[in-house]
Amino acid sequence: MKMNLKKAIVAVAAAGAIALSGSVMAQDKAASLDELLQMVKNSQIAENKENRQREAQFRKQRANQANMLAQAEATKKAEEDRSARLEQQHKEREQDVQAARQQLDDRLGSLKELFGHLTSTAGDLRAALDSSIVSVQYPGRTQFISELIEKMNSETKLPSIEEIERLWYELQRETVEGGKVVKFNSVVSDPAGNKAEREVVRIGNYNLLSDGKYLTYDVKSGSLNELPRQPGDHMKGAAAIQQATSGFTKVGIDPTGPAGGTLLSALINSPSIVERWHQGKLVGYIITGVGVFAILLALFRFVVLSAMGAKVSRQLKSNTASTDNPLGRVLKVAEENKGADTETLELKLEEATLKELPRIESGLNLLKIISMVAPLLGLLGTVTGMIVTFQAITIYGAGDPKAMAGGISGALVTTVLGLCVAIPTVLLHTFLNGKAKRIVHVLEEESAGLIAEKSESK
Amino acid sequence: MLAMMEALAAIKAFVASGGPILYWIAALAFAMWTLIFERLWFYKGSLGKIKAQTVELWEARGERKSWNSRQIRKALISRAASKINQNLDLLGTMVTLCPLLGLLGTVTGMIEVFNVLAVTGGGDAKSMASGVSRATIPTMAGMVAALSGVFGTTLINRIAERENHMLEDQLTMDH
Repeated sequence: MKMNLKKAIVAVAAAGAIALSGSVMAQDKAASLDELLQMVKNSQIAENKENRQREAQFRKQRANQANMLAQAEATKKAEEDRSARLEQQHKEREQDVQAARQQLDDRLGSLKELFGHLTSTAGDLRAALDSSIVSVQYPGRTQFISELIEKMNSETKLPSIEEIERLWYELQRETVEGGKVVKFNSVVSDPAGNKAEREVVRIGNYNLLSDGKYLTYDVKSGSLNELPRQPGDHMKGAAAIQQATSGFTKVGIDPTGPAGGTLLSALINSPSIVERWHQGKLVGYIITGVGVFAILLALFRFVVLSAMGAKVSRQLKSNTASTDNPLGRVLKVAEENKGADTETLELKLEEATLKELPRIESGLNLLKIISMVAPLLGLLGTVTGMIVTFQAITIYGAGDPKAMAGGISGALVTTVLGLCVAIPTVLLHTFLNGKAKRIVHVLEEESAGLIAEKSESK
Repeated sequence: MLAMMEALAAIKAFVASGGPILYWIAALAFAMWTLIFERLWFYKGSLGKIKAQTVELWEARGERKSWNSRQIRKALISRAASKINQNLDLLGTMVTLCPLLGLLGTVTGMIEVFNVLAVTGGGDAKSMASGVSRATIPTMAGMVAALSGVFGTTLINRIAERENHMLEDQLTMDH
């Protein structure tokens, strides 16, 4: 209801304003040129009258203005005098302060030097305590030291004997705690982010362990986090020390713990063997494939050649030629050509031997090629890796060794893979080649002798 | 006893600074030299018996001029040669494998160096030292093993060749 009334009033006022402006508009407009001329004359007259009025007013006020100026000048002089007086006072006070300070210095004497040492010691201790993992067990130690430093730096306060002794106590406590292995309860967050109160083992100032896992201490937030990736076999015994009650227990610690634990981080940041293998990328996979193929081929040839060798040895001892082995087949040719002269027989034997060779030596050349190609493939991977590294340098510059080092170690992985394939393949090839050579030897040089011996013994 | 323990400790320290590849190189060098000594032992000892048997078999034959006897002579020589030449190829392969294993150690050591570089950012030269020694020591060990093997295998090959020739000369065709 009230609102409606207000609205009504506003509406009426607006209507009035519009009507008023409409009448003014009507007055401004001239109907004819004569009327316009008349209007101009009228307004000139009105202006002249106004100007005369204004002049009279100014004349009246002139005397008044002079009076005001005199007053302002008097105020300025008074303020200047006051400023000079205050300056003088300030100078005197400063001298007093100087004297008081001198007195303070005299009375403090050697204490001043002592406070200097105390301040630097307290500062060092504060920095050490901030990053020390002992702070997990005793939080809030640095606040007292901050207050002490503030007190020693201020001119109006002096530290008390108790406070100085407390500094000594904190120093000693840090030293003593640094030599202890203790258990205590604290809130630990696991890699998934779940926080829970767990029993934590602190080894001096070096490492924090819980349930066989290594923990990190985040200095900024003061929270304990389980390392998402635990060091491998190098750091065993973490669980054993938590269960131990006395005596000696073997456990791996990071001696660089008080300085940030760089060794531990280096350990957990180094990639595992599988990750390394993946660093080789496409070339690495190709080399691995070739290597697996070489080993399968070598196994297959080993089985075939062993069986063949056993049959040939049996053939050497028996008197009848069987067709299940190369030597038997060669001897069979000799049996079939009993009546032929020696030269024909020799040619026939040679032919039969040549026919057997591919079957004995198949796959061996491929093994040899693989053993030579694998290191070359490794070299290829290295060079492509280096290209990637240099590309990274052109984009990011050489300022970040980390960006380059990752690529380089990836490049070297392919070389390792190439060598890891080549070395066993070379050995396998030599071994299988020896086996094959023995059979070929029997075929080429002993078959004719065997036939001769047989014909003589009849 | 004390001297042996000291020597063992020195070897352990050497392997610790050179990495596990050294064990492989040592095993390979050991196998290589075992084979070399086995060959030398064979040439000094049982080879004489084999040669005497072969010559005896040949001399026992009534005639030594026919096609049959030529073939039999060839077979006799071949049987003796296969015993003389046993393992020579394997020895050659082992000599070539030694530097390859050394190279493998070098590359794995370099990977370690770059790994440390990637973690620490290259500010700490001391932490890279272990990787560098793991890169250089296996190369040296591989080279030493290969060089020692080259002398051994050259000696063995020369003896084998000479023995083969001598056997062939002893089995005379005509009497």
